[in-house]
Amino acid sequence: MRAGWSLVAAMALAAGGALAQGEPIRIGAMYPLTGGGAIYGVPAMAGHQLAIEEINAKGGVLGRKLESVERDDKMNPSAASATMKELITKDNVHIVLGGLSSAVGLGMSEVAKQEKMVYIATVPKTIQMTSDKLHKHVFRIASNTDLEGDTLAELVSKYKVKNICHLQLDYAYGHDLEAGFLKALPKYAPGSKVVLTLKPKLGATDFNAFIPQVMSAGCDGVVSGLWGPHFVSWVQQAKPLGFFDKIKWISGGEIASHEVAVSLKDEYPDNVISNTYELWYHSQDPMHKTFQAALAKKLGTQETPQWSMLGYNGVLFAAAAIEKAKSLDPDKIAEALEGLTVHTPVGPLTIDAKTHQSNTGQFWGPMVKQPGKDYRVMSPVEFIQPKL
Amino acid sequence: MSGRVSLAVGIGILTLLALLPLAGSRYAIDLATQVLIYCLFALSLNVLIGYAGNVSFGHAAYFAIGGYACAILLTTYNWTLALALPAAVVLSGVMAAVIGYFCVRLTQIYFAMLTLAFAMLVWGVAFKWREVTGGDDGLTGIKVPTLLGNATSYYYFTLVMVASGVALLWLICHSAFGLMLVAVRENAVRAGFVGVETRRLRWVAFIVAGTFAGLAGALFGMYHRGMYIENAFWTESAQVLIMVLLGGMYSFFGPLIGATVLYLLQVATNQFTQYWPTVLGLILLVILMFLPDGLAGLAARFRRAGGRN
Amino acid sequence: MTLTVFALNALYGLALAMNMFVIASGLNLIFGVLRVINFAHGVFYMFGAYLIYTVTKLWGFSFPVGVLAAGLGLAIIAFFIERLLLRRLYGQEHLMQLLFTFAIVLLMSDAAKMLWGTDQYTVGYPPAFTGAVNLGFVVFPQYLLFLCVVGPIIAIAMWLLVDRTRWGRVVRAATQDREMLAALGVNVQMVYSAVFVLGSALAGIGGALAAPRLALTPGMDATIINECFIIVIIGGLGHLWGSFLGALAFGFVVQFGTVWVPNWQDVLPYLLMLTVLLIRPWGLLGRPEAGR
Repeated sequence: MRAGWSLVAAMALAAGGALAQGEPIRIGAMYPLTGGGAIYGVPAMAGHQLAIEEINAKGGVLGRKLESVERDDKMNPSAASATMKELITKDNVHIVLGGLSSAVGLGMSEVAKQEKMVYIATVPKTIQMTSDKLHKHVFRIASNTDLEGDTLAELVSKYKVKNICHLQLDYAYGHDLEAGFLKALPKYAPGSKVVLTLKPKLGATDFNAFIPQVMSAGCDGVVSGLWGPHFVSWVQQAKPLGFFDKIKWISGGEIASHEVAVSLKDEYPDNVISNTYELWYHSQDPMHKTFQAALAKKLGTQETPQWSMLGYNGVLFAAAAIEKAKSLDPDKIAEALEGLTVHTPVGPLTIDAKTHQSNTGQFWGPMVKQPGKDYRVMSPVEFIQPKL
Repeated sequence: MSGRVSLAVGIGILTLLALLPLAGSRYAIDLATQVLIYCLFALSLNVLIGYAGNVSFGHAAYFAIGGYACAILLTTYNWTLALALPAAVVLSGVMAAVIGYFCVRLTQIYFAMLTLAFAMLVWGVAFKWREVTGGDDGLTGIKVPTLLGNATSYYYFTLVMVASGVALLWLICHSAFGLMLVAVRENAVRAGFVGVETRRLRWVAFIVAGTFAGLAGALFGMYHRGMYIENAFWTESAQVLIMVLLGGMYSFFGPLIGATVLYLLQVATNQFTQYWPTVLGLILLVILMFLPDGLAGLAARFRRAGGRN
Repeated sequence: MTLTVFALNALYGLALAMNMFVIASGLNLIFGVLRVINFAHGVFYMFGAYLIYTVTKLWGFSFPVGVLAAGLGLAIIAFFIERLLLRRLYGQEHLMQLLFTFAIVLLMSDAAKMLWGTDQYTVGYPPAFTGAVNLGFVVFPQYLLFLCVVGPIIAIAMWLLVDRTRWGRVVRAATQDREMLAALGVNVQMVYSAVFVLGSALAGIGGALAAPRLALTPGMDATIINECFIIVIIGGLGHLWGSFLGALAFGFVVQFGTVWVPNWQDVLPYLLMLTVLLIRPWGLLGRPEAGR
């Protein structure tokens, strides 16, 4: 046993010695910092930076500081793959975190597989990354499209929607969420059926061609994966017709997040039930209070965005895995991540050793008006955490 | 440049490129691989512009067809590379023949617009035919033979393919066919009088250009292990057009210089600023206002000036 | 499909068509007179949309002021581009002019990023047109109805200007034979300048009018320019009513494509353009050019 430990220590020394002592550990981070995805990518990067600052203030990992190497993924899978390759071959990072759109996530995962570099997906949700396209070096701490689709089907049953109009974006996230939802629908709501399916393209801003189709399809509810800016545009274009008076909107894509609530303010429609990873005004774990206060200080606003926590958690997992592996060898980091539990602002999260998916939960609920507030808030809040 | 001098220079450059992996930088190998691919892409377009005098605004279509075809055959159908690559190149040529058949009936702006329209149709099909192409997510996870799995071996593979491609294009452009193309470019009516079938000639040029663009596309897809719809978008066609223009379209080797300079400049610029388009726009303005023959033309002007002294 | 649903879709298609016509007619005018394919038209449109955002949302002016500001702003930008740069390329090949306009695209889209950032903005319907109007058989957003009215007004105004005024006669003459016109003592440079400015102002106005019915993002220029090409080519390069017809075809194909072949609607306009180009390369209302 003792021999075993000294062997581990020697190996750790060897691995550490290969790179000069005290040289920082380079953490690559890629989020959309320009374009349509920047509204989420920028806060996610802020959370990423916050975690790095906090860890460095406590002395770093394995006695070495963390250095953040940040890049714009442009929400474009082609550009993101090239950028990630450059992070690995030119900037010599030790691990890569991030991605936002599912298409980018798939592209980054492919580079991780080729280059045998650990990639922790913090936001992309397509199930493919942790099912048919799973490989040794990819991990996910976001939710996924199967879990989200399952909850959507449950809500269809809960709110008794009979005829469903299904709106999904025409890329990996939309298609996989559609599949996840359709798989779960017969289980929860065997009497409900989809009467219309439409797939606008990712980044669409003009929904005028779609709105009359949904208005005249005779559905009493919409199941949707139109996230952030897509939802905002839809609301503004559909509102003159009284769209939301007649139709319930059950949606994934975190449109219950505070960012979306604030960008629409009074225009935020009634009848919306959706999800979010984090709510600045709702703490279920003591760690959330300190995290939120630190983030508020960093961003200079009390009302902090939800995406920061995902960037933050990504760094927590990376640091914990390197600490556990006592090495910067990608294979060892990957092994350390399997079954790893980390305490996050929404409680302890564990990465499943087989599927590489963490049991990340989400807050779900209706968005309602509250006196004295010019934005909608989720009430009641329900935390739905998967059992893996 | 006399034939013997260009041969010597060519062999010299080829030797340098063959020795590049000895420098031991993985990053340099990756860069060089991409530069080589763009060189072939730009050179293929120049058959159409520099030799036949037809400005195609949709050359990315054939690049994408070659890339997607090779990727799909390798990955979805598990073909070996020895079959998939030739098949992809032939398919690009066939598609160029079909599309070109219609395009060469028009000239000038109408020709440019029609090539653009077809290219955007190819883009639309790549986008919407999700089951086959992967749609907006792109086609990732391309199965490249393990022999070409590491960066250095793939670099050598690319070098051999691109060098053979360049040599073939050189032979084609300097054959009787190439000379007739130039004659058509300079004066279509007169070439017609002496019995040159101008439309058929331009059609063949179109097919040659599309075929070699397809080869470049196939190499690109395998290098990135992915093909994406951006590769067929019109801005990609514009980019390769600028490479040709920067290098100089009336010189055989001009596009190689243009592709190399433009690509490396882009990589360098991206280190400092996200505003690469501004830099590209300024370069383009300078070429248009001051360097209509491109860098190759500039070099020739210097040589002439030197000769006079 | 019931008649009501058909009518509703037809109206949505018409609103899109009329908005597109305003934008495409500027591109068409410039091509008709200058023979320049202006790739920068899309980025002019984007600037128009961003300008109305700044003027109405940030500075608090009214919607009509915003539209005028967008038109005027683009007129000024276009004036300097034509005077300082484009003018030097008139004698050159088409390729050179086309690439010049592409350089403007690159420079101006980056400039937009520097000026406005990359966030997504919304302008919202103007206060007078926030609701919907009941037309008896359908309920239709007021603002879209407003667009349906604006399109024909601009079309008729342009027709009167080009067909019924002395200036219009000069412009038409410039499309036919610029040397002859110059010999007759007309300042052809001036005509070119004016046409480029007017066409670009239409892109700005079109962008300002489009802003309320969509959201503003970087990259909105790259799609619109293709759509404008489609419209102008379908109708016949340089033909005013051809563009009007092309815009109608585009609007209906997109709208009814969404109904009948959902998810392929984005590809249909390209198919339409190809069909037209293969059967009548000079467009529906255009005439074959001599010397092609």
